Amino acid sequence: MMGSRATTAWMVGALLYAGAVQAQSSAPAAPPKLPPGVSAALWKLSVPPGAEPTPEKVALGEKLFLDPRLSADNTVSCSTCHEPAQGFVDGKALSTGIKGQQVTRNSPTVLNALFNASQFWDGRAGTLEDQAKLPILNPREMGMPSPEAVVTKVQAIPEYATAFKAVFGRDVNYDDLAAAIAAFERTQFSGNARFDAFITGDSKALNASEKRGWALFNGKARCNSCHAANIVSPLFSDQKFHNIGIAAHKQDFVQLARKAVGVVRLGDEKQIDELALQTEFSELGRFLVTKKENDIGTFKTPTLRNVGITGPYMHDGSLTTLWDVMDHYNKGGVPNPYLDGGMQRLGLTEPEIDDMVAFLFSLTDARYAKFNGQELARQQKRKGTRPERDTAVALGKKGNLGDLAPNPDLAVKNPAAVGVYGAETSVPGAAK
Amino acid sequence: MNFQTKLLAGLIAASSLAGGAALATGSGLKAEPLPQHKVPVSKEGNLVVGLCDGVTSMEVEGVKDGQSMTRDQAQAVSTALMAEWRRKNPDANWDDVPPPAKAVAQAGKPKAPGTPPAAVDATQQKPSAGGAVKNAGQSAASGASEVAAQKDANLQTGHTYGAFSERDEKIWADSTQAFVDEGHRVFHDAAALGGTIAVSCDMCHPDAANTHPETYPKYQVQLGRVAMLRDMINWCIQNPVRGKPLGDDDPKMKAMEAYIYARRKGVPLEFGKH
Repeated sequence: MMGSRATTAWMVGALLYAGAVQAQSSAPAAPPKLPPGVSAALWKLSVPPGAEPTPEKVALGEKLFLDPRLSADNTVSCSTCHEPAQGFVDGKALSTGIKGQQVTRNSPTVLNALFNASQFWDGRAGTLEDQAKLPILNPREMGMPSPEAVVTKVQAIPEYATAFKAVFGRDVNYDDLAAAIAAFERTQFSGNARFDAFITGDSKALNASEKRGWALFNGKARCNSCHAANIVSPLFSDQKFHNIGIAAHKQDFVQLARKAVGVVRLGDEKQIDELALQTEFSELGRFLVTKKENDIGTFKTPTLRNVGITGPYMHDGSLTTLWDVMDHYNKGGVPNPYLDGGMQRLGLTEPEIDDMVAFLFSLTDARYAKFNGQELARQQKRKGTRPERDTAVALGKKGNLGDLAPNPDLAVKNPAAVGVYGAETSVPGAAK
Repeated sequence: MNFQTKLLAGLIAASSLAGGAALATGSGLKAEPLPQHKVPVSKEGNLVVGLCDGVTSMEVEGVKDGQSMTRDQAQAVSTALMAEWRRKNPDANWDDVPPPAKAVAQAGKPKAPGTPPAAVDATQQKPSAGGAVKNAGQSAASGASEVAAQKDANLQTGHTYGAFSERDEKIWADSTQAFVDEGHRVFHDAAALGGTIAVSCDMCHPDAANTHPETYPKYQVQLGRVAMLRDMINWCIQNPVRGKPLGDDDPKMKAMEAYIYARRKGVPLEFGKH
């Protein structure tokens, strides 16, 4: 994955100077060889100086990532919920931690997570290192009681004691453990999708339906207002937090929000954190991090890269297929007082939804091509079962939601041709 | 075809012509064919290269009509044509050098084709305009008064609009710069322009000198009408470069406009100026 980028000098340096090397390397290292759909500019922006993955750290990090011994009862590893063969997700609506406990969130993919502006659905961690530390300690996930307990346990495993000594030049500590896992995750970029071939000039890489989907994505379906992408940031995500009404599906959301705002206004921020761990308050999303009313029920816009193989969808996995996702947006989300102002019904017809989904499946990396095909077939079979579908609302035959915009005439102007996505040759910092 | 059907066909043709004309004049402006620069024919069958003024031309000895020059030959011809134009127009205003605001960024030797321009900076403009990214703080235009200091740069205050971080602005600036770099590539590459005789834009306009994007739209003598920058780019592509004009929405055209504008960052907008 990494190629043979790291030099012998680096390895010797790592051994001699141990962790000090990390702090010293001020000049950002050159990115590894990146596929067309991964931007060197974004790589440099996203990999902090000193945290560049080295083969040694990556190998140790991968071992840790796959090791259930990081959990309290040796049953759950990072890969339990982020299974590499399955696109680094578990395919479940909600993930399962130790002792069969269900957590409140759908596991997001590790693929391209290194480019995220923040980690977790509510963005509560700023870096991959911070992210890696939390599930190990979460009582419902890997359930270790404390960082010290993790260190003691890992240090007692001879192969790790040796490996940490070799890579970091010292005994196991929690920061180094997180750094190793993060280093492995920083090699899990993905940008070799059919879409990338299409955007870099192979007009036959997408079929007619997928091309219509790309036009809808930029136009009538308004996807790009949050799932924006270009050659510098090809993630299909604005990395912002939006309330699209998913949390309002299941509970009396207004009541919940009112209670939470009340708690915060009383100044008891600690109580709300505790409530979030045990109750449906976790459905308040980003609000739990910022304590700002504007953030009630908002969750991070996920990347659409590999979206075909990383379902079920949304923070709670409540939407099973991409058809369900399109149905959700088509009717303008689920109304609630905190709904994002950008949400409105789209008036997509059934063939347009099919085109949209076809396009989304073209964003999957080539290494998962076979799995992607299977997933498409599986989701297609469920097309008849669509609880989110409300065609009457979507098309404006019910409710009072104002006029829909007219359908664009692709012969006159293709919304996908507005502005530029960019050319591969023009990415700043990319090898010419 | 008997007389009646001929008449009918003629009528249909006439009415569709009228329809087409009505369409073209819908805005009150007529789309007429552009005047062409007809370069004289060489007696020896040599290549004759025209200048963008629509008048000056030069015969290239040793290169037959229909052949392409080398890049060095093309540069020599372009330089000679420019010298000839200046001899004929001693009082004409031609900016060889970049404007003062750019002098630092553009100092040094002309770049080889394919090398990107240095990022334009040294002005106090928004990074999204293609300049350097500011180091700290936030501007009024980035909204969100509470988008926090570096530690919490990813903290979002509003749930949608206006909550932009420095990371966002860096991405925007890079995206714009990528577009400018692509324009630089096309501007310096005869093949990318679709040119057939190896002449590229930079041969007369090193570093996009004297392109004056800030003066468009303006009356262009060669075209006999008011033109947009892209019209003038296309005139140059058709005449000195000997290529096919690009569509208004061709990504190459958009990129070249971006590059040409980027080279004039900080210069006041003065449309119509000569």
